[in-house]
Amino acid sequence: MAVPQTSIHTVSAAPRRTRRLRWLLAQWTSPAQRRVALPVMGMVVGLILAGVGLFHRAPRSLTQVPPGYVALVNQQGVLMSDFISQTATETEEPFDQTTMAQRAHVLHEMIDKELLVQRALVLDLPETIEEVRTTMADAVDAQAAAPEQGVQPTDAQLRAYYEAHRDRYSSQGTMTVQNLVLHVGGYQNADQTVTQAQADAIEAVYQLRSGASVAYLMEHFGFVDATPQYDGQQLDFAAKLHLGARLYQVAMTLGTGEVSDPIVQNDGVHVLIMHQRQPATAEDFSAARAQVYNDYRIALTDQAAKQNLQFLRSQAQILLAPGQSE
Amino acid sequence: MARAADSRPALLAWLALPLLLLAAVLAWTLHVHRQHTALASQLLRVYPQDVDANAVLVHFADKEARPLFDKNCAGCHGAQMRGNPKIGAPALVGGHWLWGNGSVFQIERILLYGIRSGEPKALNVTDMPAFGLMGRLSDGQVRELVQFIMKLNHRPYDAEAANEGETLFHSDRYGCYDCHGSDAKGNSDYGAPDLTANYWNNGGSEQDIYDTIFYGRHRVMPAWRGRLSLEQMRALAVYLHGVSKSSVEGG
Repeated sequence: MAVPQTSIHTVSAAPRRTRRLRWLLAQWTSPAQRRVALPVMGMVVGLILAGVGLFHRAPRSLTQVPPGYVALVNQQGVLMSDFISQTATETEEPFDQTTMAQRAHVLHEMIDKELLVQRALVLDLPETIEEVRTTMADAVDAQAAAPEQGVQPTDAQLRAYYEAHRDRYSSQGTMTVQNLVLHVGGYQNADQTVTQAQADAIEAVYQLRSGASVAYLMEHFGFVDATPQYDGQQLDFAAKLHLGARLYQVAMTLGTGEVSDPIVQNDGVHVLIMHQRQPATAEDFSAARAQVYNDYRIALTDQAAKQNLQFLRSQAQILLAPGQSE
Repeated sequence: MARAADSRPALLAWLALPLLLLAAVLAWTLHVHRQHTALASQLLRVYPQDVDANAVLVHFADKEARPLFDKNCAGCHGAQMRGNPKIGAPALVGGHWLWGNGSVFQIERILLYGIRSGEPKALNVTDMPAFGLMGRLSDGQVRELVQFIMKLNHRPYDAEAANEGETLFHSDRYGCYDCHGSDAKGNSDYGAPDLTANYWNNGGSEQDIYDTIFYGRHRVMPAWRGRLSLEQMRALAVYLHGVSKSSVEGG
């Protein structure tokens, strides 16, 4: 029985070179061979690329100033645009009217500054100088907030903000208060007991409320004026500092012309006389408008900075030492 | 056998032809790339104010910049560069420059660092305060100022209100003239627009002008440093400078 001849057999007598070519082409016609050949080729190419990458030298440092820059300082470029701007600012003349000497002087200064900044980075000054850190942090905040600042609030947004933070918008109260004290044991010329002093103070308060003068009380009962030497109106927060928390609390309950009940403290028995009182008043929206506007914009900035920090934290690896929390 | 021998030259030709074509394409690409690199380098090496004098560079910049503008700038400034008053994006044709004088250097500077972008080197000297929102001017006073501005632009106005508005404009208390100048012709160092040119970034209707004074404006142009290359920004600056100049010259 005759065996059918394949196409390869039919070219077996052809010259050797053509035979090889035919053989190579024949490999590509066989799916089985192609399945092996393609991955092998891929592997070879991959190995070549890996070899090139492995033994390729790192990019060489620049030996020429790249276009767009005016100088390279330790491979750090000084932008042409910054140089032009700096020259115009320093000389107060348009750049094209400046002399070569002026330009050279400015460039010299810029290179000096760049060197100092690079040195500062080597010395890790952003890590150690608080002002540098603050400036850098503020600059990042400003960048984060810039898009938010571009949108002006509406009147309704400002009103809503005012309603939500109403307690912030009140005028400071003022008071003119006199603080009389009847010292007890331990103080100079204070030989009476607390009980005696309290009884005297009750009587004094009664007389004051009936119209007796302060001078009479001081002379008759031995009260001392503990009011600071400067008299007159004080803002509430200042009065609190001078009186202390307990007396201030009592003072806040007094209206103009009222006299407090005796208040026992460590140093003696106090009586407060409120000569004039102007309580704090809530500002309505129209009066507080400018402040609300500023606060609203600050709140937007703060919010943007907060979101930026949230993002940075989500991208950062932060490890805390054992026992530490933040 | 004879047929196989005959097909050999044809086979070689069949293999050589694509190789030759590939070589030609590679050589052409290399040539174009080299030419491009040389021109891009030259574009950046000359001072911005000197680019105008070099027609080859201007042509190269225009060609480079057009697709860049469409991709990055047209979204705000419009494909026809006529701006968008709704977002305060200015028209780039007509020769009205809010900041600077429209030179290649100034435009490139704005592209690099932006306006109120948060970049420390951005243009950020002033913004238009929200006089009404802050309660510094009443609703009526804002309307009087609007009438004064109408008068400055030779548009129909209420004479009495315009006179009041003029007084407000020149008063030290509100300081409008501080930025816009006592002649109201603006100051491009501060980004304060000319109020006599009848040209409006944020719309020129009475209501638009009222809104500008009442609610203020704080428009932001982003910085493109880091997003576009120096060459791309220079090309855009040259292109925009040319477009603005030719739109003025061409009326």
